[in-house]
Amino acid sequence: MSAPLSPIALHKQLSRIWGTPPGWGRLSSVNHTILGKRFMLVALLFFAIGGLLAMLIRAQLATPHSAFIGPDIYNQLFTMHGTVMMFLFAIPMFEGLAIYLLPKILGARDMAFPRLTAYGFWCYVMGGSILIVAMLAGVAPNGGWFMYTPLSSRPYTPGINADVWLLGITFVEISAVTAAIEIVVSILKMRAPGMALARMPLFGWYMLITAGMMVVGFPPLILGSILLELERAFGLPFFDPERGGDPLLWQHLFWLFGHPEVYIIFLPAAGVLSTIIPVFAQRAILGYRALIAAIVAMGFLSFGLWVHHMFTVGIPHLALAFFSAASALVAVPTAIQIFAWIGTLASGRPRWDVPMLYVAGFFAVFVMGGLTGVMLAMVPFNTQAHDSYFVVAHLHYVLVGGFVFPMLAALYYWLPHITGRQSLYRLSVPAFWLILIGFNATFFFMHVTGLMGMPRRISTYPSNWGWDWLNLLSSVGSFILTMGFALVLADLVLQLRFGKPFRRDPWRAATLEWAMPTPPPHYAFAALPRIERRADQLRPAEIGPVLARGDGYLGFARDGQMETLGVDMVSGEVEHVIVLPHPTFLPLWTALATAAFFLALLFGQYWLAPLAAVVVVALFLCWPSRLGRTDDLGPVDIGRGETAPYDGEASGNICVLANRTALVTNGTLFASLLFGGLFLAVVAPN
Amino acid sequence: MSGQSRRALLLLFAGFSLWALAFVVFYALQALGCAYGWPQHRLILISAYLLAILAMAWLAWATPHWAGDKGVLPIAAKWANRAALAATILILLPVSFASACI
Ligand code: HEM
Ligand SMILES: [Cu+2]
Repeated sequence: MSAPLSPIALHKQLSRIWGTPPGWGRLSSVNHTILGKRFMLVALLFFAIGGLLAMLIRAQLATPHSAFIGPDIYNQLFTMHGTVMMFLFAIPMFEGLAIYLLPKILGARDMAFPRLTAYGFWCYVMGGSILIVAMLAGVAPNGGWFMYTPLSSRPYTPGINADVWLLGITFVEISAVTAAIEIVVSILKMRAPGMALARMPLFGWYMLITAGMMVVGFPPLILGSILLELERAFGLPFFDPERGGDPLLWQHLFWLFGHPEVYIIFLPAAGVLSTIIPVFAQRAILGYRALIAAIVAMGFLSFGLWVHHMFTVGIPHLALAFFSAASALVAVPTAIQIFAWIGTLASGRPRWDVPMLYVAGFFAVFVMGGLTGVMLAMVPFNTQAHDSYFVVAHLHYVLVGGFVFPMLAALYYWLPHITGRQSLYRLSVPAFWLILIGFNATFFFMHVTGLMGMPRRISTYPSNWGWDWLNLLSSVGSFILTMGFALVLADLVLQLRFGKPFRRDPWRAATLEWAMPTPPPHYAFAALPRIERRADQLRPAEIGPVLARGDGYLGFARDGQMETLGVDMVSGEVEHVIVLPHPTFLPLWTALATAAFFLALLFGQYWLAPLAAVVVVALFLCWPSRLGRTDDLGPVDIGRGETAPYDGEASGNICVLANRTALVTNGTLFASLLFGGLFLAVVAPN
Repeated sequence: MSGQSRRALLLLFAGFSLWALAFVVFYALQALGCAYGWPQHRLILISAYLLAILAMAWLAWATPHWAGDKGVLPIAAKWANRAALAATILILLPVSFASACI
């Protein structure tokens, strides 16, 4: 390479290469920083919509005999609330966080397949919009977020309400599966040189297992949706007992996805906690190896307990016992993690700050949800509490405690990274207390109404069963909760507007994402570091300026190419140079064609669907056209006096790994199909 | 070296993969046995149970460990595999007494 540039000149060169064009060109962005932010922003929007629906639900349930919205709309509201929160808020939220954060924490310049990130983002936005538009048009799905058959089969749900769910969600799932494959590949192949798996920060481990779970957890739901849609559109009998199907098959397929899903949501949040807690405890996390084992155990065990959602459907004792034991057992790896966090805090020198408030809130709320979870895992108790408000209370204690609280901690922790400004903290503290008090007021009383026999999903109730006061209190609580969230929002806006800028690493953290300027430049690192120790025990304030000087790997701009490094999966030794694609509108067009496919099915225009599918495939075939090169160059300079070949000339490159992962997804899809066939042949009554 | 550490990564997931396989096999054996009214249903279930435990116990003890930074994965693998063994014993224990068919 030529003479080294000054840091400023290097920054300018790299910015020019990695930047996204202005104006409409923004829609062509494939950059992980930009797309991560967009994912999280849209997820927040859906959170607000889901919250609004919850308010309407609670307004309806505040008093007995309420005539506020009536059963038809009510069914749409609670279905959409659950659907929006699970599929359009929680999953995309942690995907966005992972896309934004992973390359920065692991020391790469972007994710493995930037255009796939963009395609996933557009699929998410469009699929989500289909659901919201349908709701505004009054034809939202209304069979619950679990879409139980035969209630959601054609005879009992005519119209397009159920199709909106099946097609919209499958569309959104595309983005979840593409993101999962990309996350697996990026974590395994794109870390800073020297960052062996054994040195990877726990956030990487958590996301690796989460993404792995998505790879095998989502196919059952996708298969279920396809089969149910086939049944609804063409009358094929899979789930309708009238025609020889079995509604339980749907429940199996749904919960085979649905239960792991709960852990898919919790694990990234736990990854956040494992990243934040050591920083505030001012010591390394306790039990790094035990935590890895616990995460692996949790990832697997959570697949072995889907039937605990079906304890009351009439299955043999033996199966009840299997699934009850597995459900109780999964509390063990959870407890190991909780003890590791508490131990880290107890043996460190804890420092107070706003993220820690939410960490404390997490402990209180999540542990309580975990306890009711173990209660529900016991078959006799489950028979009592099944489908009562007790379950609603439990699920919100785990979901809000285990996801929303850690995400709020993450918000206060990483927002300075995104904006380059520090929080003012005037509103943060009252906001936290409103949220904590409001949350408990809303959901604690649901345990009681549940035990008093109030079933979930009812739109109104008589006043002589003693549920009135408790429901009113829940509703008041939910409004306090909303005020808390509104204050958080105000707090954010104030921080964006008036927060004071800082130099680098405001929390004295020990992970790589703080070793870059904030707000982060598009290229993330001006040069990639060499990691010599556990990568959650680094000194970003010292590494940062060195990297900014271009002192490290790839600390230069070559031929206007976007370059980053690929490493050996386990040892983290450099294997090849990865050349990433420039901004392009292709992902947007492909997502639009995909949307056309789903809309054609939704409106019953079956002639149009294959056409759209052909366009999708054709567009995908255009993707590789300007990538790769036609000649071999051999090893090229990567800085620090080392060389490495381009990815096209290396054997273990990211495309190979991505294809293998995608094959696993396909394999799971077919295995689920096999399971469905066997189930109908062997277990189903006719 | 790389071959050794790659094995460590595989071992990290081996125990619980085996556990998942056992889980599926048991679920299938239980359902098939009931559907076709196997006479030796319980015997088959219990033999499969012992077989699964044996395989997992072998795995849990055979997982090697090295010291230092290199040891992180193998030690995590060892713990994961022992956890998988414990999970197999506990979760599948009911095959020895619970009624298998409705
Ligand atoms: C923020 C305040 C929230 C309030 C006030 C709230 C309120 C409610 C209520 C009252 C129901 C029961 C509806 C019915 O069955 O009639 C419900 C259901 C549900 N909520 Fe929430 N919720 C909130 C947040 C969340 C979050 C953050 C999530 C997930 C991340 C979530 C996921 C669900 C799900 C999946 C259901 C469906 C449960 C079922 O019937 O299977 N909720 N929510
Ligand atoms: Cu579950």
